[in-house]
Amino acid sequence: MRKTIFFLTLALAAGSVQAQVLPFLSKRGPQPPVVQGIDAERAEFAAQSGGTTVYYAPGNAVLTPQSRAVLTAQAAWIRRHPEVVVRIEGYGDTGDTRDHALAIGAKRAEEVRDYLVLMGVPMAQVSTTSWGGERSGLGRAVTILVR
Amino acid sequence: MKRLSLAILLMALGTAAEAQQPAPGATVVEIPPLTSPDSGTRGNEMLQIGWEATQLIASDLGQTSELMPLKPKREDYVSYPEVTAPSFGKWRPLGAKLLLTGFVQSRSDGRIAIGCYVYDVSKGTELARKGFVLPKSDWRRAAHKCSALAYTAVTGSPGMFDTRIAYVAESGIGDSKVRRVAFMDSDVANNKFLTTGNSIVLKPRLSPNASQLAYVSFDTGKPAIKLLDVESGKDRPLLPIDAINFAPRFSPDGSQIAFSMMLGPNSDIYVVGSGGGVPRRLTTSPAVDTDPSFSPDGSKIVFESDRSGSQQLYVMNADGSGQQRISFGPGAYASPEWSPDGQWIAFTSRNQYGRRIGIMKPDGTGETFLTNGPADDSPTWAASSRELMFARLVQGGRSMLYRVSVDGGQPQQVTIPQDGSDPDWSGAMD
Repeated sequence: MRKTIFFLTLALAAGSVQAQVLPFLSKRGPQPPVVQGIDAERAEFAAQSGGTTVYYAPGNAVLTPQSRAVLTAQAAWIRRHPEVVVRIEGYGDTGDTRDHALAIGAKRAEEVRDYLVLMGVPMAQVSTTSWGGERSGLGRAVTILVR
Repeated sequence: MKRLSLAILLMALGTAAEAQQPAPGATVVEIPPLTSPDSGTRGNEMLQIGWEATQLIASDLGQTSELMPLKPKREDYVSYPEVTAPSFGKWRPLGAKLLLTGFVQSRSDGRIAIGCYVYDVSKGTELARKGFVLPKSDWRRAAHKCSALAYTAVTGSPGMFDTRIAYVAESGIGDSKVRRVAFMDSDVANNKFLTTGNSIVLKPRLSPNASQLAYVSFDTGKPAIKLLDVESGKDRPLLPIDAINFAPRFSPDGSQIAFSMMLGPNSDIYVVGSGGGVPRRLTTSPAVDTDPSFSPDGSKIVFESDRSGSQQLYVMNADGSGQQRISFGPGAYASPEWSPDGQWIAFTSRNQYGRRIGIMKPDGTGETFLTNGPADDSPTWAASSRELMFARLVQGGRSMLYRVSVDGGQPQQVTIPQDGSDPDWSGAMD
């Protein structure tokens, strides 16, 4: 059953790529807003894991009990989807200096990865990065489905 | 109504007078136009270069807090023999303590010779002289060196006029901000962009001779240091690995780069040869250790760490031994840079007063704040060790470059083609 869904998802994903590429299809005007492929998976991931984002108190990278609950659900979903790869993107805090914000962002992302791995997600499925204070959305770490 | 207009008039007068008013203790310098021994068309060409060089020298010295050039006037023209034998009686009544004379001469090989002389007007003695032979197009460099000659004669410190500044040029705001590594002369001439703006770039750091730049790029999706050749514009990753690495700094001899790297959730300080090699780990604390900066003799490194619970400054030997905390004030201390003369460490302080630039001695004493913030960061020293450049966030999230003297005074905004952040000021060029 799970395999069927997996292949179905793959087929859908392939379909969506074709729809964008083939010119005669795009001539038919705007496509109906059917969410499919990676977007559908992202929506399902967000819905079933109680959110993609965990938040931190200023200056630290300590996971709160709420964050752990979210990450436990994220881990369960990712374990059910061995075909996906996720990237954890960490952010620094408002007003922090550039390099410390980069380090804190990276640390927050690593704490999330460590917890997901602790919850049984294979290392190979998770990568991390840090935006420091260079992008909006400070004080958090986000789990993003890459594929 | 009348009183109001009078007040406005007085204010206007006040500002005009202030602009002419030297900073307390500033040495007044008279700079007659650089002359030329040449005649005819060639002589005119040399005189034109001389006049432009004179204005550049006045502009250089006018930006310092120690020297106050009188506005150069074409009619103050001196003859070629007067360059080396000035008639001091002519200059004394103008109130200048210092006289700077010079010449521009064409040479048979197509290059030019520029000579500069600095005199003490009241004593009638020569303080310094220097000559340069260089391509005609490089006259600005010679003019900067003449400025440095006068500056050093007064302060004893090396001049920062013939120096380079690397920074991040910014356009737009928020997440759509485009950032490029940029490079210019310290008087903002010859500004050029070294990266395309396709990815976020941070913290460019110049090698000691300003031929190379280390900077942080996000073009692989995670922050990592790249090394860029300024002349060719070619770049390569500093490390052949996947780990997040940032905060690069060259050692004073250019042979090594200190930086921070993430190993799991731990940011530590490492050094690696600037030509490659295996990184050597210098700190092992589980806290965030970052922002290393070498002392000018290369024997020590100042860095920041939050191992005590808040970010503070620490000094260690260049091999990682003898780590000692030097900052103890309220809030956080970050972004340290050791001064070229070794006497001071500049830093960013972050507390209830906002983010401000300050300096302290390498043993932690003598803490002084130079700016009022509230969003200043990334101080970098001038070669003179008497002035700093830093980045200030202003309204709307835009970032501007400012200069401030260690003697205090209001920070002055640096006029550059775009917004700017993360300045790095080179040492004097030979």
